[in-house]
Amino acid sequence: MSAIPATPRTKTSHLSPTTPVATPSTSRVAHAHAVQASPHYQTTRRHSLYGTEDRIVIDPGSRIWKVGFSGEGRPRDVFLVGPLWGLRRATDMAERDEEDRVLEARLQAHIRAVFHDSLLTEPKSRKVILVEHPLLPVYVKEMLAKILFGNLQVPSISFASSHLLALLSVGRITGLVLDCGHLESTALPIFSSRPLFPQLRTTPLAGSRLTAHLRALLLLFGTYLPPPTSLSAPTNLPAASRSTRVPQEVLTDAVLEQVKTRCTFVGDPLDTSSDMRVMSPSGDDSMELDMPPSDVAQSESDFSHISVDLDSHMESSQPASSGFSVVSRSQVPPERTTRGETQLQALANMYTRHSTATDLHLKVVPPVAQQTGTGKGTLIIPGWVRERGAEVLFEGGDVDEASVAETILDSLLKVPVDLRKTLASSILVIGGTSMLPGFIPRLHSELMRAIASSPSSSARPPMRPDRPRPPAYDRYAVLRPLVPHFAILNNPSPPLPTGARGNNHAGKAPAFTPATMAWVGGSLAGSLKTGGVEVPREKWDEADAQQDPDENTPIAIDVSSRRAIPNVIPDWTRTPLPVGAPPANPPHLPETAPRAAVGA
Amino acid sequence: MSPSVDYHCHCLASNSAPPPPHLPSSSYSFHPLHELFFCEECDAVRCNRCVSVEVSGYYCPNCLFEVPSASVRAEKNRCARNCFMCPNCRNTLSVVPSDPPDMDDGRSPSAAVSAVGEPPFFLYCNHCRWDSAEVDITFEKPTGLAAQLQKYEDSAPDSLEFERLKEHFEPFLRASSSSALAGPPPTAHSHHPHVNPITAAASSALARDIPGVGKYTPHPRGRRDKGPRDDMVEYRSRVEVGGSSTMGEADVEFMRHIEEVSEVAALEQRWANSWATSLHTSDLKPLRIPLHSKKSKRCPTCRHILIKPEQKAQSVRYKIKLVAANYLPSIKVALPQPMDLVRRGAQAARPPGGEGNSGANGLHAGDTYPFTLSLTNPLYDPIQVRLSVQRQIPPASTTVASDAAPVEKSRRPPFAVSLPSSAFPIAAFAEAWEYEDDEDMFGVDDDEFGFEAREKEGKAKNKTVGVLEKRANVTVVGGEVVIGKDAKGEVKFNMLVSYTYRSDDPLPEDDVRGTPSRTKAPEMKTFSFYTVVNLGSIVPRQETKMDTDP
Repeated sequence: MSAIPATPRTKTSHLSPTTPVATPSTSRVAHAHAVQASPHYQTTRRHSLYGTEDRIVIDPGSRIWKVGFSGEGRPRDVFLVGPLWGLRRATDMAERDEEDRVLEARLQAHIRAVFHDSLLTEPKSRKVILVEHPLLPVYVKEMLAKILFGNLQVPSISFASSHLLALLSVGRITGLVLDCGHLESTALPIFSSRPLFPQLRTTPLAGSRLTAHLRALLLLFGTYLPPPTSLSAPTNLPAASRSTRVPQEVLTDAVLEQVKTRCTFVGDPLDTSSDMRVMSPSGDDSMELDMPPSDVAQSESDFSHISVDLDSHMESSQPASSGFSVVSRSQVPPERTTRGETQLQALANMYTRHSTATDLHLKVVPPVAQQTGTGKGTLIIPGWVRERGAEVLFEGGDVDEASVAETILDSLLKVPVDLRKTLASSILVIGGTSMLPGFIPRLHSELMRAIASSPSSSARPPMRPDRPRPPAYDRYAVLRPLVPHFAILNNPSPPLPTGARGNNHAGKAPAFTPATMAWVGGSLAGSLKTGGVEVPREKWDEADAQQDPDENTPIAIDVSSRRAIPNVIPDWTRTPLPVGAPPANPPHLPETAPRAAVGA
Repeated sequence: MSPSVDYHCHCLASNSAPPPPHLPSSSYSFHPLHELFFCEECDAVRCNRCVSVEVSGYYCPNCLFEVPSASVRAEKNRCARNCFMCPNCRNTLSVVPSDPPDMDDGRSPSAAVSAVGEPPFFLYCNHCRWDSAEVDITFEKPTGLAAQLQKYEDSAPDSLEFERLKEHFEPFLRASSSSALAGPPPTAHSHHPHVNPITAAASSALARDIPGVGKYTPHPRGRRDKGPRDDMVEYRSRVEVGGSSTMGEADVEFMRHIEEVSEVAALEQRWANSWATSLHTSDLKPLRIPLHSKKSKRCPTCRHILIKPEQKAQSVRYKIKLVAANYLPSIKVALPQPMDLVRRGAQAARPPGGEGNSGANGLHAGDTYPFTLSLTNPLYDPIQVRLSVQRQIPPASTTVASDAAPVEKSRRPPFAVSLPSSAFPIAAFAEAWEYEDDEDMFGVDDDEFGFEAREKEGKAKNKTVGVLEKRANVTVVGGEVVIGKDAKGEVKFNMLVSYTYRSDDPLPEDDVRGTPSRTKAPEMKTFSFYTVVNLGSIVPRQETKMDTDP
């Protein structure tokens, strides 16, 4: 410790920058003495016969929950809960109250099922570790706590940051964790087991956006073969003459989920880097450069692997420009319909040219209105849609919706300079969407690409026509020296080591799946008798009882005016701002006592 | 959807009044009667959302073996005997022997074939013809298969890696907790006297802000060895993701060239694996069947047992069973066939020959429909029942539509419900043999009576509202709903049911079936509960006949 400040230029680097962020994070992830603070941990090191010391680890996503007992290497049960909450809430208060009531009822049903159906255990004797995403809405968190304490009467809940837990599951306490889930992709740097929450960056490019994009692509470029009208003559018509555009009703959520989880993968980036930005909404001018119109005609004849039905379908769909406007969330706004259509067509052709992925036939239930035939219809998914559907996650250039790679880099930019190298060489990718085959290697190359070329330079128009363009804003220039150090810990096909110190971390993580890493970390934290901030039920009941005088808490985020939940649930967004310089001898704060640290 | 009546349990809301039925959240507060319990101590209805559940026994749903709770945890809540599920279709797998070996040298096979068949044994799915030999799982013996597989599970890479991670973190945690026990974190100068005091001061100033860091370094010597970067030795994975065969390029290539979707395992088949596993459907392993539990349920407030099953897995009986159906009158709602409506000349508004279209296909805006509620008394005492439509917050009237509260105007249901306003009796429940003859039990012949009643209704319109029929412990009352001209949505209203009962003359055997609460003998007691009556959805008037399905 003493040697460190003596050489401030080299070694202190990672210490001093944490100073400003230490205050917000200490309340969330407390220090090692918290382990001692809870006497329970000292006394029950061993498993009992019935294992009631094992805690319940719940990883509640907005869509999928993973539940199990701590100390086990895999969750006992994983189940779909449907999209429970989204990125937006109703603005009308009455509507929002109603939404909250529905959400609470659904949450209650699911939490009860966790204990009674999945784990077959009694909640009263089980402490709970709640794996919480840093951006889990506070109202959801409070609902979860209310149900667990009130309805199920669990003895305590520990809140542990999902990103930190994921880092534990690869044996580390420092790293930059990207969680690519359903609603959002969130990058959070963590140093020495402290999440640097102010440096968190997020983007809505994640699983649900991918689903929406796949839906749009399939509506435009997919082919639908209705079931044969009678069983006796199933083959009298060639498939090409039966093929139609994909009716919207066919693309149910379940079908799309199947397409996403069983058909989609992430291909390597295309050779020309400019090709990649083709789909970006701002890339109008670049699109013309990338795809001369001759390409369209050329590719359709040149590439034999395009199936006949697909071709015929494409041609038939081209004049139907009105159909395009029904595509939800497509990249091209409807006023540019015809233009967008040709662009998309060109895009499709380009991807088709580069893709060798097979077209897939998927049996789907025909829409109700068209149930004239027998059996199921067939949805033909073009190979390039399977390979390039996930491009939407890697399209940068939008200030509001950065690409996944840009999210990592932005977070890295916010991190104190001295931490950057450490964090860049220990990037961890978790979350269900990153389970797409090829996602992580692609993310690595996208990181490299985003650093190498500044994407915002091309998108910036000249201020005045008579003047030269202003010097391009090179956002990631400062990160460029770090390029040899970049390493994704759980990269399944790591690039060849560059010789830089951090780079050899790539691919060194244990082969846990990205989707379950947070849960595994929670299980690990539970078996190590540590965990996040623990809230015992007494504290909740106490606060619940004196709910009304509790209004004078320092910063109470107004979550719901209907019922003011006592402010006992820890949340980093509620941490009061630091008040000037800390005192010379920090008092041992009694109120942080029950807050056990994760990995600290 | 046929008309239905659900019963309210107030556990979700703070007050006892049910939520307005038009809110989607209200459906979570109402339950079918057969799902509800009744707590005698609290004199209240309890539902499956509020009761506290205790496990009274574990069993395998396939072999009905009762698993002692001590081994449930070790066996991961799954059957540890011979019960497996097909990974593809979730059917139960059966154990089959191999084909007898071909005796191609012509010797007699008689000695080889035993009673159980020929090893190796494997699991076979009778539905999709999957067999475990495909994934190289075969068994020497046809019994104790899970135990034979257990060793694979214990040496699964995820659990080994998990143990290694634990070993990795444990000394670190121990060190940090012991240094915490020892008092304040050791400051730098105490260990390194050779550094100059300014550095030491700076160091302690820095260490002060981040108290964890100082403590993370258990020993100064160790720190010097490892360097200060991570405060921990680097973790070396047992199996590194970079070196494993899955999740890398191979998967991408596989995905690129699949011909059928079914080659890739579905998400549901993979997502519980925390370890990187193959995407191929052909690599899926058989699943052990999850155990079920027998649950006893207690009242959340008074902790009394509401229902308790018999211990044996084979038994479907209960030791204690306080279900609401034994305490509350059961209510069935029906919309009579619209013959009288047809006579009213309403048939122009709906497709011809639409029998039952009022109930099944929806109610038409602007029409008036009678409906019947048949209430059955489960008690051994006669009861007096009073029905009323729930009052909306400001007004007080049984006909909801007549309330004109401007604030509530948008929420006001677009229909009016009339119910008999006076109390009516329902006779006591009696066992079938206690009736003198059939007429006591069934009233008049059922069909005839019903038909006549309906005929009467048709002729005398004032008969639709009121008590229509009484027989045994069933009373049928009629109500009427007037649907507004531009109504849409569902005809759904909350109905308060109050019944008065006397508990002076308890039958000797009515401990369970008896009065809801055994109070002082001759007292009259009233119990009220809310129900939601759903008569069906309204077909808006402006729509054409073709669009009867909204």
